[in-house]
Amino acid sequence: MTTRRDVLKLVATGVICLGVGYGLGYLTAPRPSPPPETAKTPIKIGVICPLSPPGDYGAGALIRRGALLAKEYINKEMGGLLGRYVDIVIDDSSGVPEKGVAAAERLITQEKVVGITGLYHSSVALAVQDVCERHHVPMITMQAAAAKITERHYRYTFRAHAINPDRNKVILNWAKSKGWKRIAVIAEDTDYGVGIVDNIKKIAPEMIPGSEILDIIFPRTVTDLTPQLLEIKDWGPDLVYNVGVGAAAYLIIEQAYDIGLFPSTPMIGSYDFPLKPDFWESVGEKGVGIYFISYYHPQMEMTDLGKWAFNRYKELYNELPVYSTLNEFGVVLILAQAIEQAGSDDPEAITDALIKGTFVSWNSDKVTFPEGEGIYWHQFSIPMLILQFTEKGQGITEARIEYSG
Amino acid sequence: MAIGITFIYSIMKMINWSMGEAYMIGSYIQYFLLLYLIPPEYWYIGVVISIIIMFIIGCLLELGLLKRMFIRVLERRDEYITVMTLAWVILFRNIMASLYGPYVYSTPEYFSRVTIGTLPISGSRFMACIGTVVILAIFWYVIKYTWIGRAFRAVAQNRLGAYIVGINSHRIDTIAFGIGTALAGAAGALLAPVYLVYPTNGSIATMKGFEIIVIGGLGSIAGSVIAGILLGIVEIICSALISTSYRDIYGFVFLLLVLAIKPTGFFGEEERLA
Repeated sequence: MTTRRDVLKLVATGVICLGVGYGLGYLTAPRPSPPPETAKTPIKIGVICPLSPPGDYGAGALIRRGALLAKEYINKEMGGLLGRYVDIVIDDSSGVPEKGVAAAERLITQEKVVGITGLYHSSVALAVQDVCERHHVPMITMQAAAAKITERHYRYTFRAHAINPDRNKVILNWAKSKGWKRIAVIAEDTDYGVGIVDNIKKIAPEMIPGSEILDIIFPRTVTDLTPQLLEIKDWGPDLVYNVGVGAAAYLIIEQAYDIGLFPSTPMIGSYDFPLKPDFWESVGEKGVGIYFISYYHPQMEMTDLGKWAFNRYKELYNELPVYSTLNEFGVVLILAQAIEQAGSDDPEAITDALIKGTFVSWNSDKVTFPEGEGIYWHQFSIPMLILQFTEKGQGITEARIEYSG
Repeated sequence: MAIGITFIYSIMKMINWSMGEAYMIGSYIQYFLLLYLIPPEYWYIGVVISIIIMFIIGCLLELGLLKRMFIRVLERRDEYITVMTLAWVILFRNIMASLYGPYVYSTPEYFSRVTIGTLPISGSRFMACIGTVVILAIFWYVIKYTWIGRAFRAVAQNRLGAYIVGINSHRIDTIAFGIGTALAGAAGALLAPVYLVYPTNGSIATMKGFEIIVIGGLGSIAGSVIAGILLGIVEIICSALISTSYRDIYGFVFLLLVLAIKPTGFFGEEERLA
């Protein structure tokens, strides 16, 4: 019996099949259209976002759309940058820091990107910023909200998104206006979730005298949160603060409904996950009554850039854009403007331009990244709203504006 | 899920690390059946169809990719099987994410909410429990009282002896792998409205499944049933007494205690390899 030879034959067959498949795929794949004549070597902008599990790949898909929208705008409407074509290079973090770091190293050292955007998960952003600092390449995070990201005062880190302390302030001010004092926070065990919990426990006593906070942290891969929700129900909160991300946020709503906790007790989501296309399909009637933080509403003023992105997205995808798409679009455009203001594709010059310049994004024409104190270092904060869905199937245009922060 | 894992192990002496993905695919099948083919009030027909489809998928996987490793004596077979089944985890997860996108789906509820005492329980969860009891009862009957069940037990006890008396052990392997996969798919179909349908919904089920089979004893089906109940009780009691934040840790502590006291699990047996 020659079993080793059989195994080698099997492995060789597998490798040949893979090679043939790859070759066929390469030969038959549609080729991108050639860059315009003005391009010499393209300027590359890196995007790191979760495109596979365990990351929130739903958000990653939306971020990717925003980045590609920005690429179209830069190349077609702006005619490229510095006379050159701009390319967006997207890499997958899967929502885990080590893959984010690997993606950043590859984008910087092999693809030679002049800046990195995206960075949805805070834990990934915290890991990637060390890589960017080491290589002196600027990164702008579009939705990673942990305060620590800007608290570190890294030269090459910038953020154009809400930070968790500001998010918590909006929610506490709203709760105070309602006379609510007992707030149960159920949060995932990530930098984002734990950061929100730590901060709210610190600021709640001052903002709402006599307030009580119950915090429950859960592993983000867990699917059954019934025991945690039963504990919350037993405690009797005035408000439940849902700090799950992705599927966990939906599971909290579903399972809270199943045990009778929600909607009898109000629940607020920490970000705008109810605006995702699959929300109503996932939670159905159980989602009626949910409050959530939103950074965007169609009634908000948008810049011309924002209006272009809004309309173009509707043309391409036949649905309204959500914040993740718009903000990634805005952040890539900010980087593009920094490149133009710097007059160079040198990351160091771009970083200087980001620190000193003023930029136009989708929602503001006065975006700046000053070297502020504490967590407001290189931070452009955005206004937040609290919206509520009052009927099944509502979208952002029908959502009720409950509070403006 | 745990019974599927331990059943496959008892027959084939291999661990299938992709049982969570069988669970996941079962949940997707149930979702699409209820969406396009079957009215929601006949959800149990969807579960049966999911079981049949997962059985066929399991048999095809075994015939196509695993059988050759059992026909001849292969060095390091366990390592190859581990690599193969781990590759399936990544493959199936990403295939489903590519095919059906990054979205989270849910099936309609199987039943209205049930209240036991003061405890409200989701109707779907309640029906999943009943469905599990029914499936386990059928499984027990087949193993105990049918010819094929006797054949399974024979191969599990002594593969060579079963072969000598005329049982085609390779065919038994295929059927057993199909049944194990079908059991995992059944779990996914039953729990689709409870834990939702998305590409990674099987990962925690896999972890719990392996905890259960180690606590109960590898290869012991009765052990898996009892260990599953015990694990649930331990997690809930410790969550109530200590904190719900460390629920998964209690299960692992229990696992370590069991291994320290009885390394083969409650109903596992020490094996002598000739």
